[in-house]
Formats: sequence, C-alpha cells, structure tokens
Amino acid sequence: MSFRKRNIGLSSGLARTPAAHVPGQPLQAAPSPAPSPGIRPSPDDGRPTTSTGSLSLDNLLAGHAGLPMGKILLVEENGTTDFAGTLLRFYAAEGVVQGHKVHVVGVPEPWGRSLPGLIGAADATEDKSLKRKDEKMKIAWRYERLGEFGAGIAGSRAATGDQVQSAADGDQDSKQQAFCHAFDLTKRLTHPSISNMSFIPLVPSRESPFLSIYRRLQSAIASSPANTIHRIVIPSLLNPTIYPPESSQPEFVLQFLHSLRALLSTYAARVTAMITLPLSLFPRSSGLVRWMELIADGVIELCPFPHSSDALATSGAATAQEEPPQGMLKTHRLPVLHERGGGSDKNVGQDWAFILSRRKFEIKPFSLPPAEGDKEGQEGSQTSGMPKKADLEF
Amino acid sequence: MPSQAVLPPLLKPYISSPSPSSLTVISSVLGATGNWLVLRFIYATLATAPYLHDASIPRNEKRKVVLVSFLRGWDFWRGEAKRLGLDLTRLQDKSQFAFVDGLSELFSVSTRPAPSPTPVLPGSAAPRTTLPVRSAPGVVPPRSGLHPALGTSTASINDGPTPLRFSGRGTTALDGLERDILRAVDRLKSTGSKDQEEQEEVSVLLIVDQPDLVLAATGPALGIGASEMGEWLLGLQQHVHSTVMTVSADTPLIHNASTFASQQPSPLETAQAAFVTGSAHRAETVIQLRNLETGAAKDVSGVLRISKGGAWEESCDQHADSPWEEREVLYFMQRDGGVRVFGRGE
Repeated sequence: MSFRKRNIGLSSGLARTPAAHVPGQPLQAAPSPAPSPGIRPSPDDGRPTTSTGSLSLDNLLAGHAGLPMGKILLVEENGTTDFAGTLLRFYAAEGVVQGHKVHVVGVPEPWGRSLPGLIGAADATEDKSLKRKDEKMKIAWRYERLGEFGAGIAGSRAATGDQVQSAADGDQDSKQQAFCHAFDLTKRLTHPSISNMSFIPLVPSRESPFLSIYRRLQSAIASSPANTIHRIVIPSLLNPTIYPPESSQPEFVLQFLHSLRALLSTYAARVTAMITLPLSLFPRSSGLVRWMELIADGVIELCPFPHSSDALATSGAATAQEEPPQGMLKTHRLPVLHERGGGSDKNVGQDWAFILSRRKFEIKPFSLPPAEGDKEGQEGSQTSGMPKKADLEF
Repeated sequence: MPSQAVLPPLLKPYISSPSPSSLTVISSVLGATGNWLVLRFIYATLATAPYLHDASIPRNEKRKVVLVSFLRGWDFWRGEAKRLGLDLTRLQDKSQFAFVDGLSELFSVSTRPAPSPTPVLPGSAAPRTTLPVRSAPGVVPPRSGLHPALGTSTASINDGPTPLRFSGRGTTALDGLERDILRAVDRLKSTGSKDQEEQEEVSVLLIVDQPDLVLAATGPALGIGASEMGEWLLGLQQHVHSTVMTVSADTPLIHNASTFASQQPSPLETAQAAFVTGSAHRAETVIQLRNLETGAAKDVSGVLRISKGGAWEESCDQHADSPWEEREVLYFMQRDGGVRVFGRGE
C-alpha cells in the first residue's frame, strides 16, 4: 500500500519535472550543451557531471547535481544489508540506459541481469498526477495553498534542489529525465545496450589480484573512441566471497585504488567509478579503510537501522504520511568540495536518513519528531514546518 | 579572483617565508584537506606585484616552487591555482614553477619494462615513451606546445612534468623517486641562472603532497617503512631551500598504533604513525587541519592549528614586528575559492 506515499518528502524536484514539460513540448527544445548522453554541466561550476541513477544521491553531491566526471564515489555500508548494492545497481542501470560503457568488476554476469527495470517518464507522470489527486482528497481545501505538511521538514533539502536548478530552470527540468532515470526494483532492466556491459572477473594470480582488473579497465578505456563514457562499478570491494584474502593487503588494494584514481584523472572527462565496501568486515577505524577513503573522491556511509528498532523507527517518522527512514546516511567527503577544502555546502553537516522504496532511493534530512505529548516541542517544530497562525486565519 | 586577499592576514606570517632548510608539515584529515593551504604556500612564494599589493612579503625573483603530488593531478592544481589568480602554466614556462606528477603512473602496471634506473639525460626521450596523460581529449587543451615532439631529442628545459614511477622495492625504489624529483629541482635551478653562483642564490621551495601514500601503498612487503621514508625526505630536503609536506593524520592512522589502542595495530597504521610523528619532530612548524569537534557547521570548514615542531629554534623567529606564536584558528572556504580565517568567536 505504501510505496506511492513514500515519494512525498523529496518529490518536489521530481514532481515538477512532469509538470514542467507538457506532453507535446519538444524535449530537445533546450539546446543540449553536452555532446554525450547523460552528461550535463554542473550548476555549481560547469564541470561535466553524470547521474548516479538516483535523484536524491545526485542532489547530495555538493551542488553539482550529479557525480562529477573523473571522480570515484565510495559507498560504505554497515551490517549485512545491501542498500549500497542497490545504489550501485541504480548507477549501473543508469549507465546502461544512457548508453555508457559499464564495467563491472569481480561479480559474474547474473549481477547484470538483476538491474532494476526502467520506468518511463510517462509512467512517472501518471503516477504523480494520480498521487496529486489523492492528496487533494485528503487535505482540507483551506490548507491547500499552504503546501504539504512535512514539506518544511524536507524543506531544506528541497530548497537546495530548487536552488541548484533555478539557474536554468525550465530547460534544466526538461532535461532532468534524460539525465537521471527512475527505476523499479521489482522489475528487471531490459535494454538493447544491456549486453554492452562488460564483466571483469578476478583471475587468480601470484601477483596482485587487482593487476588483471586494472589492465583490462585501462585497455578498455584507452582503446575506446574518445566520446565513449565509461562507468566502473565495483561491488563489495574486498568482500572475501569475491576477493582472495591477500587482496586486503595494503600494497595490493591501495595501489589498485591509486592506479584507478590515476586512470580516472587521465580520462577525467569520460570515466566515473562507484565502489561499495562492507564496513562490517573492514571497519572505518582501521587505517586501511581510511586510506581507501582518502584515495576516493567522495565517501558516503550507510548505517541501516537494525530490524529490532523497526517499531521505534515507525514512531520516528516525522509525520504519519512519511515512511519511516531505514537508516542513516553520513557524508564523510564529497567530490570536489572537500578536495578544495570543504565548507560552504548546505548539505554538509546535515543528518541524513535514507528510505529505499520500490522505485527510488530517497535521502532526506533526518529528524526525530517531538516526543508524544510534548506540546512545546511540537509547537517548536510547527513554527518552522507549518504556516504561521496568521496564514490560517480567514 | 576572490574579493578579499588571497592570503588571510592571520596566516601570512606563517606561510610567506619559511626559514632556510626548514620542514613544514601540514597534517590533514579526510574531511579537512590541506590543498588550499598548499596553494597559498605557492601563492606566497610566487605571486608577484600585480597580484600582491603587500610589501611585507619579501619578494624575490629567485624564489621557485617544485610541487610533487602523489594524490592529485596537474589539472586539479592548475585549476585551483587559477581560482587564486595564479597561472601555473605560465609560471612553469617562466621556470618559476615545476610540477612533478606522482599520480598518473606511480604504480602503473605496464607490460613494458620500467625505465632504467640510471639517470636519464635531459635530452633523452625515454620518459616520454608514453604520452603525457594530461592530454586527455575533451579537457582543456594540454600545454602541447611545451612538449617536444615525441622522439625528438631537443634538450628542452620545459619538457613538462615527468610522471614519477615506483619501480623495484625498498630504498632502490625510493631512490628512483628521489632522483626524478631532484632532476626537476635541478632543472628549475639551472634555468635563468648563468653560473654556479647564481644557482646557489635560487631558493627552491619543495612541496611534497602526501608522500605518506607511497608508504601506505607499499609497506613492509616492499621493504619500505617509516624510517626509509624519513630518510628519503631528508635526502630531498638537502637540495632545496625549504620543504613543505602534507600528510594524513586521521585518527585511525595515528592513534591505532598507540600502545593504549585496544587492538593490535596493522603494519600500515604503525608505519604511518611513525612517519607522521617522526616528521612532526623534525619539522620547524606543524600546521594541523581538522574538522570541528562539535560537528559540521555551515560557516566553518575546519580548525587550523599552528604549532612549533620538534625542530623549532628561537632563531627562526624572523618577524620581529609580528611575534611568531602558536595559535588555533577556524577557517572557512568560500565558494569563490577565497578563505576566511578567524579566531573562535570572532
């Protein structure tokens, strides 16, 4: 019953999208400055970026509204869940849909068959308008002009998104769909270019287990035409079910990551990479993992809530309409921003929560609601989240 | 260009003129990188009158900078320097600046044999057998004009940065790196000065960005430990006027190795801690960057602490007018590339 309602918090960015382009409005009306599909200049400083396949992760990346080209994003995950793997699948699926060359390291081909299915833009429109109607039924008409309840809570996030887009609003919006697609986890991706993915297996060798991987990546990228965009997908790096034990030796894995970084800086306009790392096996408190983080350009940590706290998390939903968050998300390093010295991004320092639903991976500010019966706390939250009393007067 | 001064007044005394044969260690952490500070060191040394309306900084045509970066490429440094109004490409043409690339080919695995360890003659084309990686299509046009055509053996002084390459193991490999870096230093020294005496006058500031990566990515298996790295750095220091080094000092890298740690430290952690603390003891100044302890803030990027290193001497105090003192300040990177440095509560 619930997947539709999950979209509320962050939906403003996406919801505007279908509204923005009326059916029949030519999509290519906006002159596309990017020569390659799935690449667009960052609203922040104009560098080329590509989508991670999930809108809210794109928006998290320090105002670039996408993963800047030539950057490595490291997604770490605590526990035994596979939220990071889902993010990685979105990233790979986005690459397939955009016609990018996707290189998957270490896992066999069935991984590629489990990519989430594409939802067309039209589908999304329908869904959204349905939802809109739904909402209208429930909200008393006099509140209608005041916006959704809970919008204030997601407000800062949405505001950032808006700001990011405000530069070239209409154009950007109509391109939005082309830049980032929506996927459905319950379906399987079928796309003509899905066979284009390349899977790089680990080859047992006496030297570094990463050597053959690096060679293949390098030759594939070096030999491809100059306008091919590549995505390097490395699921569950160092996971002992995939990698031999010696691969966690610093001289192997750190040299590999350094070479990868070198590769990405060499072909800075054409390659991005996303890596996931199981933190339960390799804790952040170890020097090795810290060095891996230092080599990566962006570091994001997922901390799913344990199942036992489901009840707590449910009551932790900010409003009855919102889905309870499934975990916390921490940003330790953001591409470009932290390389420059950090600071000044609105998203830094926020507590983020993530919600994975069938159709999207949503990241929004984490907030605990005021305790039940805590009048003052509730009023406090209302002053920020709800319209002032004067607005409600007739 | 940023609206305010590139060099924050509070920092100016500390970065503008490192004393001879000194080592300055900049330690950074994951969320508070020191690249902006490195750029300011370069700026303080190289920026000339049009950029710098300040007579308090001793300006010398003979001041030059060699930047060795193990974790960041030329594009990054050039782009960021441009934001400060510093054109590194032009400075490179004027032989005031040299970049040594320790990123693109450091651990590159290629089938061809590594270049011979004997010093390559300046005119030989050996290090050029691979194309300079920065010429990736689509990005800013490379300084192709600087590169001598492949195969030709014109002894060009500006034949661009030669990528460092780690080959072999142990001190042999480090010696190779040292030789390549010193070649860049010597080349910079020899240009524009006619004789030996003039060369002596040239003061080169060597900036080594994250040499600890070499230590972390090799380790005891390749015969490299903290003491080898320390000696390597010492060898470099001998040939330059002063040295600035950036290292990572994240908690796991430093504190896991302490005897009070709950678990056995890994060799990586032991080596890193030994190298960083050892360098701090040898340094004249230690500049420490870290995150705000109280969590991220919207108007603070991090905390900067300047303290005396183990090799501090009173004679280092050259600024009689502004007495050198240890201090801790906050800094904030602005979107335009400017930085604001201020005390707590200001």
